[in-house]
Amino acid sequence: MKEDDQIEALRRQLAEEHSMAQLGRLLAGIVHEINTPIGSILSNNQVVLRSLEMLKSDLEQLTGEKQAHARALVASCQSLAQVDKIACERISYIVRGLKSFARADAGEMQWVDLADQIAATLKLVQGQFGRRVKFENEVPATLPRIQCHPGKLNQALLNIIVNGAQAIEGEGRVTISAEPREGRVTIRIQDTGKGIPASARDRILRAGYTTKPPGEGTGLGLAISRQIIEDLHGGALDFISAPDQGTTFIIELPVEQVNRGDERQSSSASRG
Amino acid sequence: METNGNPVVLLVDDEEMVITSVRAFLSLETDYQIEGFTDPERAAAYIKDRPFDVIVSDYLMPKLTGIQLLKRAKDAAPEASRILLTGHADKQSAIDAINDVALFQYIEKPWDNMQLLLAIQGGIERTRLLRDLRDRMAELAAANDSLKDVHRRLIKAFL
Repeated sequence: MKEDDQIEALRRQLAEEHSMAQLGRLLAGIVHEINTPIGSILSNNQVVLRSLEMLKSDLEQLTGEKQAHARALVASCQSLAQVDKIACERISYIVRGLKSFARADAGEMQWVDLADQIAATLKLVQGQFGRRVKFENEVPATLPRIQCHPGKLNQALLNIIVNGAQAIEGEGRVTISAEPREGRVTIRIQDTGKGIPASARDRILRAGYTTKPPGEGTGLGLAISRQIIEDLHGGALDFISAPDQGTTFIIELPVEQVNRGDERQSSSASRG
Repeated sequence: METNGNPVVLLVDDEEMVITSVRAFLSLETDYQIEGFTDPERAAAYIKDRPFDVIVSDYLMPKLTGIQLLKRAKDAAPEASRILLTGHADKQSAIDAINDVALFQYIEKPWDNMQLLLAIQGGIERTRLLRDLRDRMAELAAANDSLKDVHRRLIKAFL
């Protein structure tokens, strides 16, 4: 009976990873499709703004009522183009975040800027929770580059951050901080949610455990995160929690993957 | 192949909108002669016998990839600068091919106009310097030849 449960948990875990890989490919495709039109709009916007500036100075030579009317039109076009510029830059910013998040993992570990990865992941969740949950990024920009599978690591971070935000009823805060120490980096993801009951402590990082209603969680997020952090990167995932005071997840990652990766690769390579 | 007067910049992208946008921007900011192509094969035909200074190409296009096109550009006009402008999320394949075509610059979409302009300006300067160098070397070789000739005749006259 216990074996059946384990097989079922494993099957669900594989299905979840498969759907994450599909999501990654889908995101990469969307990013590719959006980049061209956005590039075009951004470029046109600059040209329009420059042209309006020129038109404005040409209009100085007109006189009377006509000039006043034309200048008002130019001013109105200028303010609209300025809004377009800000709107496009926002889309472009989101697309860059998606791109960084969806970057397909190459077979080998890569050296990446961890602060960038965390910022990209935060950008993704911000929209999901709107104003209800405030995300605070206290990660110092001076964090060292680390050797990792960026796509997988982003997935682990995303799971934990989303998990923290989902634990918040009403308004709250998720704070991410990080510090390097002796060849390792410690990341803390702290939420102001309802906390994890002591009785659930042992089960929480295992596959198939969830406190969420059906449809909201598969009970796999944290199990996958733990697998990515511990098995794939030789790190550690732990948490401290107090009921109604929130939970802090603590991720420890080695900066450099010494003599690992290769033997772990074989187990993850086939999943693409 | 020489270009006299205004620099000639080729834009190749299967998306018409990219060519329209870049052309409008370059026309406003520069006096370059812009040649745009949505069909990479037509661009390949153009570069066979027409001079140009810089070619800016998309990566993923039907019929020819940007790398294949830039390879042809390299064969046709080795001094002309080659720029890849791509929105492809997986840039590894593009990076792998960069050495094949001796790429001058790699720019990602959505592009920044100023970055693109600087790349094109740099490319034109590089192209013109290379051509200048090639001409000077030819002059030097010719001067050397005539010097040798004089030397030979001098020896003949005195011996």
